[in-house]
Amino acid sequence: MSGAINIIDLHKSFGPAEIIRGIDLEIIEGERHAIIGPNGAGKSTLFHLISGHYEPSVGRINLNGEDISGLPPYEISRKGLSRSFQVTNNFPRMSVYENVRCAILWGQDHKYSFWQRVDDMEEVNVQTEEILDRIGLGGKRAFMPAGMLAYAEQRALEIGIAIANGSDVVLLDEPTAGMSHSETEQVVELIRSVTRGKTLVMVEHDMGVVFNLADRISVLVYGKIIATDTPQNIRNNAAVQEAYLGTEIEHA
Amino acid sequence: MSNLTAIRRTINADLKRRQRLYWILLAVGLIALPWIFSSSFAVSIMIQIGIAAIFALSYNMLLGQGGMLSFGHAVYFGLGGFLAMHFMNYIEGGFPLPIPFLPLIGGFIGLLFGVIFGSFSTRRAGTVFAMISLGIAELIFSSSVIFVKFFGGEEGITGNRTKGPSFFDINYGSDIQVYYIAAFWTFVAMFAMYWFSRTSAGRMANAVRENPERAEFIGYSQRRVRLISFCLSGFFAGLAGGIFAITYEIVTEEALGLNESGTVLLMAYIGGLGYFIGPVIGAILLTLLRTVVSNITDIWLLYLGLIFLATVLFAPNGLTGLIMMHGPAHKARRLGMLVVPYVKMAFPVLMITIGFTGILELAHFAQNTSIDERTKALFGFTSDIDSILPWAVLSLLAIGGIYGVRQAKSGVLDAWARANEPEPSVPPKGDKS
Repeated sequence: MSGAINIIDLHKSFGPAEIIRGIDLEIIEGERHAIIGPNGAGKSTLFHLISGHYEPSVGRINLNGEDISGLPPYEISRKGLSRSFQVTNNFPRMSVYENVRCAILWGQDHKYSFWQRVDDMEEVNVQTEEILDRIGLGGKRAFMPAGMLAYAEQRALEIGIAIANGSDVVLLDEPTAGMSHSETEQVVELIRSVTRGKTLVMVEHDMGVVFNLADRISVLVYGKIIATDTPQNIRNNAAVQEAYLGTEIEHA
Repeated sequence: MSNLTAIRRTINADLKRRQRLYWILLAVGLIALPWIFSSSFAVSIMIQIGIAAIFALSYNMLLGQGGMLSFGHAVYFGLGGFLAMHFMNYIEGGFPLPIPFLPLIGGFIGLLFGVIFGSFSTRRAGTVFAMISLGIAELIFSSSVIFVKFFGGEEGITGNRTKGPSFFDINYGSDIQVYYIAAFWTFVAMFAMYWFSRTSAGRMANAVRENPERAEFIGYSQRRVRLISFCLSGFFAGLAGGIFAITYEIVTEEALGLNESGTVLLMAYIGGLGYFIGPVIGAILLTLLRTVVSNITDIWLLYLGLIFLATVLFAPNGLTGLIMMHGPAHKARRLGMLVVPYVKMAFPVLMITIGFTGILELAHFAQNTSIDERTKALFGFTSDIDSILPWAVLSLLAIGGIYGVRQAKSGVLDAWARANEPEPSVPPKGDKS
């Protein structure tokens, strides 16, 4: 199969509560795939399962044909899948520069090295600077502690950390959450440019963003995917309209 | 090329130049110190400072850099010391190892036990880690009573550093020879630990301290990152233990006890966890308290406790943090405007200090004195503890001091605000630690 991610009969329960109730989904290599659905549908749980934060109760997840279900997050990251978080999740007291640089180290094969200084790793540093430029934090702000950035900048950094290690598959969890209209537009352009040539899966509430960016959309309702299709077909899908009570989708 | 690349290269080049200067100054200072402070008391204090500095820096690899609060770091120091002591005796019996390399034996033992204990205690930081470290500390300390042959019971293990083979008439008999062994290792250990903090594993130790979850999503196992710091920290603690063994030619169970573990925590904390140099400053201060102040007063431990409390309450970033706070004002060349308010503040602070230490000293004296000895020399005055006068004067000093601090406070805060007014052209500083 050519799927970047293949999810097969995935279930996840927390005690008696089954949050993910049997998902089968193929993310095609190179596509931009959005996952939408009402609150509590299990979108974030699905991301946590794919990225290794949670272990599936039942089912398999394949990344580029390789079973990754049950692996710890760092192993999955090393296999080429990275993610961002819905809430700001960086290294707040380290500089913005360090945040991005740390995310690059493993991919550049420096691993647990305790003999080479990071300041001497020219390639890592140049790459860090490229990424900082791309996410618009290339100025002197790069030397501020990450925790002192403005909210929109923290969100950009979140994306920067996610793409830094050069993973082919990128998961973005609500990249535009809490942003103003103009900030959202900027982030959409940023996502478009930094995920070029990569496979992108994103959870997003802003339907404008979803229909603008996604090649395909999956609709998750109560732990099940009720439809996966192109944006046009999703808009016209009766089951989807019902799930959304016909509001947001039509206006998007 | 990114605009940032140029900025970074300038910053790094500047940093490298400055750091090279600091290391050279440290080396020159270490060589020159015994020529300036040549009394044997001073030399012995300087050796102790060296040992304490390595030990405290190794502790800061755990707490400051790695976010692991250990209550049992003396385990690695003590075990390193005991093994070095045993090897000193083997050397006397013909084992071919020059005495100056003995600290390495201590280091490798610290490393070995770091691997053993770290393998199961670094899974999580926080309370779990702290409790396990306490458990290990108790375990090893009670072992010292059980394995009497190895730990030597209450007398400890003794040896003689001069009985090994000597080269060029150097037999390690004199203090000054021991000083240079200690100084050499202090320099090497400090350099190595600083270097580590700038490597991939060192930077990730910071990242894991900040946010272990996110560190895993960028490819690093939080446990492995902690384990590396833990093992290296054990190595340097053991190295310090080895220097201790050479210096005193005796190691007892005290060296690995909770007391010693507590002391190293205080050194690192009072000095400042967030800065590389912090624990060194803490080590200097506490060693001076332990040696110089303990000669002057019996209740120095009480003062240590008060200093620790004051640090936790008023300077959570330690003494180094207090100094570093002035960085921005220094850059803006506005330190001058702080001098007068600081001096105005210094007087009442001095009054409080004299008042309280005086009362404490008198109270301590009154508790322990006999019926015929009722006067004590205090700050150059002879104070009769049965008279109300010294108590009243000291109380007035303390109360007046508190009043004075309140008066001077607003002046300091105003000056501080003015000295730190943002200036658009101030270049931002890199992150701390």
